[in-house]
Amino acid sequence: MSETIWPELQAALPGTEAEFPLQFSEKVEPSIVSVLKLARQQLYGGAKPSLLACNAQVIQDFSWEKLNTGTWRDVDKEWRRVYSYGCLFRAASLCQGEASEATLQEAIRSCDMGLLMGAAIMDNILQTVVRILHSKVRKRHSEKEDSGEGPDVKRLRTVCASVPEVGAETAIPRIRCPSLERFRSDFLVPHKPVILQGVIDHWPACQGHRWSIDYLKRVAGCRTVPVELGSRYTDEEWSQSLLTVNEFIDRYITGSEGGPVGYLAQHQLFDQIPELKEDIRIPDYCCLGEGEEDDITINAWFGPAGTVSPLHQDPQHNFLAQVVGRKYIRLYSPEDSEKLYPHQSHLLHNTSQVDVECPDVDCFPDFVKAPYQECVLQAGEVLFIPVQHWHYVRALDPSFSVSFWWS
Amino acid sequence: MTFNLVNFNHQRRRRRAKCFSMIWFGFGFNGFGQINYSARSAKESPSDEDVEVKEVAPVRLSTCCSDGEKRLELVGASWSRTVFLQCAGDSHVCLSGFRSDPPPQKGHSCFPQSYGCLDAQISESYLTLAFKDRTECWSLDKKDSSPVWMMKHTPEENTGGRLPLVPGGYVVSAPPFLHELSPHLCCVSLALGMEHAVLLSASGTVYTWGSSSHGQLGHGELGREVEPRVVEALWGMAMKGVAAGGWHSVCISGEGDLYTWGWNESGQLGLPSHAKQRETLQGGTAAGTESDRKEVFISIQAFPALLDLPEEAEVTRVSCGSRHTAALTCTGDLYTWGWGEYGQLGHKTTQTLDQPTRVDFFADRGLRVVDVVCGPWNTFVSTEEKDPTTHPDGSHDIP
Repeated sequence: MSETIWPELQAALPGTEAEFPLQFSEKVEPSIVSVLKLARQQLYGGAKPSLLACNAQVIQDFSWEKLNTGTWRDVDKEWRRVYSYGCLFRAASLCQGEASEATLQEAIRSCDMGLLMGAAIMDNILQTVVRILHSKVRKRHSEKEDSGEGPDVKRLRTVCASVPEVGAETAIPRIRCPSLERFRSDFLVPHKPVILQGVIDHWPACQGHRWSIDYLKRVAGCRTVPVELGSRYTDEEWSQSLLTVNEFIDRYITGSEGGPVGYLAQHQLFDQIPELKEDIRIPDYCCLGEGEEDDITINAWFGPAGTVSPLHQDPQHNFLAQVVGRKYIRLYSPEDSEKLYPHQSHLLHNTSQVDVECPDVDCFPDFVKAPYQECVLQAGEVLFIPVQHWHYVRALDPSFSVSFWWS
Repeated sequence: MTFNLVNFNHQRRRRRAKCFSMIWFGFGFNGFGQINYSARSAKESPSDEDVEVKEVAPVRLSTCCSDGEKRLELVGASWSRTVFLQCAGDSHVCLSGFRSDPPPQKGHSCFPQSYGCLDAQISESYLTLAFKDRTECWSLDKKDSSPVWMMKHTPEENTGGRLPLVPGGYVVSAPPFLHELSPHLCCVSLALGMEHAVLLSASGTVYTWGSSSHGQLGHGELGREVEPRVVEALWGMAMKGVAAGGWHSVCISGEGDLYTWGWNESGQLGLPSHAKQRETLQGGTAAGTESDRKEVFISIQAFPALLDLPEEAEVTRVSCGSRHTAALTCTGDLYTWGWGEYGQLGHKTTQTLDQPTRVDFFADRGLRVVDVVCGPWNTFVSTEEKDPTTHPDGSHDIP
């Protein structure tokens, strides 16, 4: 099943070496620039793909070390651009010959690494390249399916998650499609949590392109995403890993039980895979904020039953849209922060030390005195979490949520 | 505070008298011909020029001044260059590797402004030269007629060419170059990592400061220290050498024991690493069973950990690359571990190793390793014949 994809990729690249831009600030030393130029020359000069692959690796390794120096925020964007070039050269070197399925996957992974850790170069060419590679993989797959090798229907990993009873006094109110003005005066201005019903029914993700396992595998299966391992990010054993969506689903969503919990959490999946972004819509209520639409941060939260986000607060308003499955959520007002025992360390000062559903009353005696609101958020509902409101989230089913952070 | 990789070989002591009998070898990243240039230039097709980016087996080094002269000492390596000190006659430094003068090329050259210098250190952008009466930093990418930074000192203040140390402080590879050090620290040796510093005092106390993003300060915390802080876990044990990698630290105790801490991303601490496990699983060289996958690995070691070398060999010297470590024992054996992607471990492979492993190349040839200097992605060693009266080329030592 090997055939070449190179002509299609070549068409996406600038036509000549001279048109292929390599402009960097003085931060990027002449030595590494010389390697970038050599790689460009090899790309256009018909050098052996292995030579290009070697220089691509040098560029990736060198900039990867820069990406790990200093805090992520302080890393100069130039190094993230250099990293993206390394990923582009690597993908190109892989596709110059006959590209087997495994080679295509590797090239897609290289582009994804650039999209995840790099910065956009050449009109976001990695996005273009990955689209070409991905459509090739899908074409091959659909040919396979036609020949009878249909996708196997797998059962979701089931966990007997206990569903808490939500008391009448603590229940977060529900409201159906309120007007903008009503939402503003009754909830946004007074910072009151509320569950909005009927506001995402029109999303393709809830209708035509319903986010089933098969659909997600088809649209995003071979894409590499960051996955959190371990049930909560405050745990000692918690770690992060890069997996393809297929690997993640097979191992942690439909896979057999046992082993750590995997959670595709707080990832800007929709920037990485624009096709999925077409399945969702930014809630109209966000226009009540002061920020531009581009300032809204959209994150994906995809995982099995049992994933837990410990009690924490965020610096922006949040619409948490529940697309698949149910989640138990508890909210505390920022006025009661003192009773919630935030971590002392700078890194975790927005996170409570208390295990909300099983609090250690000896260590945290005031915690039980803090009033709270709670809900079981159903598929199709959107929870408004006002800025700074503490929230604890546990998935009751295999779940896919989309959060919108806005101000 | 950014330190950059100014100098990986802080703890060297000059042994000029022995310069005569030493032969230097290098292995690892050779993308700019900084290890082996002549072999590459001899190739017929220019498009094949960059085949030997990875020198996985030790190669004898050559420089512009190496013919007939043997009093060359390698004093440091940046990512793209190596710097040698020519100690015979008119002392000066020679550079190998990347040359930025247009058109960019690779090769050896003497640095004309270095005559009379006693020590040198190199980074990606700057060359620092220590003279009897001054220290200078030169830009490597611009053809300046004067140094970008200079400090004068009296011969009495002379630190004896122990860069990065200068009278009253130390020099790093980025403006403002000079950083002060309190005289109360009685610093005898200083190692600089990507963004941290490891200091050895005259009494054998280890101080660290800078970023501890990967536990590289050894205080058990992941934060940062602005001022030098004693590594309390080592308190009471006099150390005799320190080294700093990109994000890890190593020190040698008076008894020749090795302590490591910081990032173990590629096994550079000699502790079980995730990268090594991944490599094993992917390579399929070992049975990648489910139980193997669950094995413990250490990513960050925030306190110093004692590292035993095979056969409990006593360590005399240690040097760190960005993600690998090389140690020398009193028996003249070289052990390496950590990131091996460019052949920097010298085991004729590109494997990453998370256990100290002896480099057999030298022992097999009857060579004793007497010094080791790591560049970020490569390793350099000087050797002598185990029978000290004969040279590899057959000539004899002056008694």
